[in-house]
Amino acid sequence: MSSEENKEGVGDSVSGVGSERTIPYLLLAPTVAVLLALTIYPLIYSVKISFQSNSGAPTFQNFTRLVSDQFFLSALAHTFVYAAIALTIEFLLGLALAMLLHGAIRGRNLFRALLLVPLMLPPVVVGVIWRLMLNSNFGALNGTLKRFGFNTEALTWTASPKLGMAAVIIADVWQWTPFMFLILLAGLQAIPQEPYEAALVDGSTPWQTFRYVTLPLLKPAILIALLLRTMDLLRVFDHIFILTEGGPGFATETLSLYIYRTAFRFSNFGYAAAMSFVLLLLTNLISVAYIRMLRAQDA
Amino acid sequence: MYPANMKTVRTITGLIAFVVLAFSACMRPGRQDTRTLTLAINSGVEGDALKQAAQDYEAQTGIHINIAEFPYANLFEKELIDLNAHSGAYDLIMLDDPWFPKFASLNVLSDLSPLLQKRGKSGPDDDFVTASLALCREPYQTGTLLALPYVGNSQLFFYRKDLFQKNTLKEPATWDDVLAAAKAISEHETTGAAGGGKIYGYVMRAAQGNAAVADFMPIFWAFGGEMFDVNGQPAVNSPEGIAALKFMIELGKYSPPGYASFNADEVGAHLLQGTAAMSINWPAWISSFSDAAKSKVIGKMEFGQLPGAKNPGRAEIGNWLIAIPGDAKNVEAAMDFLLWATSRDQMKLSAQRGNPPTRKSVFTDPELVARFPSYPAQLRSLESSRPRPRTPQWNEIENAFGIYLSKANSGELTADDAMNQANAEIKKIVERGK
Repeated sequence: MSSEENKEGVGDSVSGVGSERTIPYLLLAPTVAVLLALTIYPLIYSVKISFQSNSGAPTFQNFTRLVSDQFFLSALAHTFVYAAIALTIEFLLGLALAMLLHGAIRGRNLFRALLLVPLMLPPVVVGVIWRLMLNSNFGALNGTLKRFGFNTEALTWTASPKLGMAAVIIADVWQWTPFMFLILLAGLQAIPQEPYEAALVDGSTPWQTFRYVTLPLLKPAILIALLLRTMDLLRVFDHIFILTEGGPGFATETLSLYIYRTAFRFSNFGYAAAMSFVLLLLTNLISVAYIRMLRAQDA
Repeated sequence: MYPANMKTVRTITGLIAFVVLAFSACMRPGRQDTRTLTLAINSGVEGDALKQAAQDYEAQTGIHINIAEFPYANLFEKELIDLNAHSGAYDLIMLDDPWFPKFASLNVLSDLSPLLQKRGKSGPDDDFVTASLALCREPYQTGTLLALPYVGNSQLFFYRKDLFQKNTLKEPATWDDVLAAAKAISEHETTGAAGGGKIYGYVMRAAQGNAAVADFMPIFWAFGGEMFDVNGQPAVNSPEGIAALKFMIELGKYSPPGYASFNADEVGAHLLQGTAAMSINWPAWISSFSDAAKSKVIGKMEFGQLPGAKNPGRAEIGNWLIAIPGDAKNVEAAMDFLLWATSRDQMKLSAQRGNPPTRKSVFTDPELVARFPSYPAQLRSLESSRPRPRTPQWNEIENAFGIYLSKANSGELTADDAMNQANAEIKKIVERGK
């Protein structure tokens, strides 16, 4: 027994080198296995079906159909309109709030905490809340306006092709402005005091300080916030699905909704996969642009 | 090579094998014995009744029943994916009748006739309402029997009899009567509530998709419209079809603002609050009107037949069917359960649990008629009802058609443009399906 133990002891120092090499692989193995099963395989499979017709024959039709599909083109347009408007408003509001609550004002911590509440709600719940509030006949918003003597007859929100898009954007802004605020506030707090003192000594106005000191130093935080929000906005689904289901007509149908419908309602998985790849490609292109800007900043 | 490396390779291979096995185990339900049945049901009043029946059956026969319950929106995709993958996960599935042609076209349902013959029956008994049983055959009415009807819904015309009497209006027989009554009620009636308390003459669902199409079809058919002409070509933009849509928009003037995004809930709310006087609706809503917690119009609502125009009024049918997947593990036991659940006695119980039956004898059962006074009207509506156009691509067609109907009702498109564009889109869908 004792000689055996001895051998093991000697062996330890040899295999010690080996296990240092192999432990990382061992630790990664479960993750790799799960990734292979749940991400890599489905990805390859979806590439495959995007080049197949419903009967399984190889075809390019799923991609050629994209150009002539009115529903796809307008869903794509809606997605970008939605993302651009929501992103702009969320960014400007978030920046303003971050600037405001960065300074020393009374009840700062309370405001900060309150602002984060919407972020903690599931988007589906946000959809339901706004759906109730925006209901044109029984909703809180029109009810309040009516009380102040406004004529709310034409304010049909989710039923109006013009206001429908505004309604879903308002809900998004309500929920996600705090996210912008959070990242921008963290960015602001990371800026050292010295540049501000130097600017003060040089006699810069508040606007000049903001434009030439704060903004450039905040740029990395801004780009990260914009990048994350853009990716999120381009694949928006939940609260639109609850609020308008893409309607009225097709007025608020975004690409994710149309992809969902095509796959799970019309059981055309190949075409849905083709559309998903277009969305993925566009999201990637935009992300790369952001990341380039970030790199340029670092250099 | 270090022995430890070999070990690592083995460990990694082992782990991967484990994960793969674990997944395949998840995907393949365990082997079932003949004493177990698995049902896919809709979570809602229809599925609840079947669930309760299944519990009774379990107690009576000792056959164990697993229930897989899904919300309406997911049930279709779940069933389709499982049946397409031939996994045999379910022994019985509940189907909404518009889905039936899709499943029939995929050849994934069991033919019930041989199973009936084995049990000494030449076919389903003739107590089933003809219109309901016709849905269960592919082709429609004449073909192979692939399901049995369980819940017999069809549309009814809901209207406020108190307001009709007050304005000396008679039960609307035609859509012109409806329009005239809607106008009169909108102009003369109020709920008496603060801030105007307007009563709208009519209320409808025109949200894109199923809602708009279901509320439009009875008008479309009454005006002489047909989705497909005699050659099977899409024809929604016929003069009759366009006239029907124009009429719908006209009626929309007496509907609450925003109806272009209404679904069943909004319509139900308006009727229950007494802020709208007429609508096309489904029997599931009837019981709410006598519920004091929900209804401000107890005893004031009447449930009649769909109005006509050029053609007599016909309701859209919306039945729940039960079918046995072709790959079911327990076809014989499933058939026994199916016959039991759709038998007269069980259907009476299901009716008491809130589901309209599909059997004439249950509709005319005196005990039930006393409890559900609208049963005679429901039976008449069901017997003269029509199915939605029977095509495996119905989901996609309904979606496209609904979008254009909703666009026309929200004022985004004229009736002519909406119907022309809808027709072009339906043509494309049909072409793709060939």
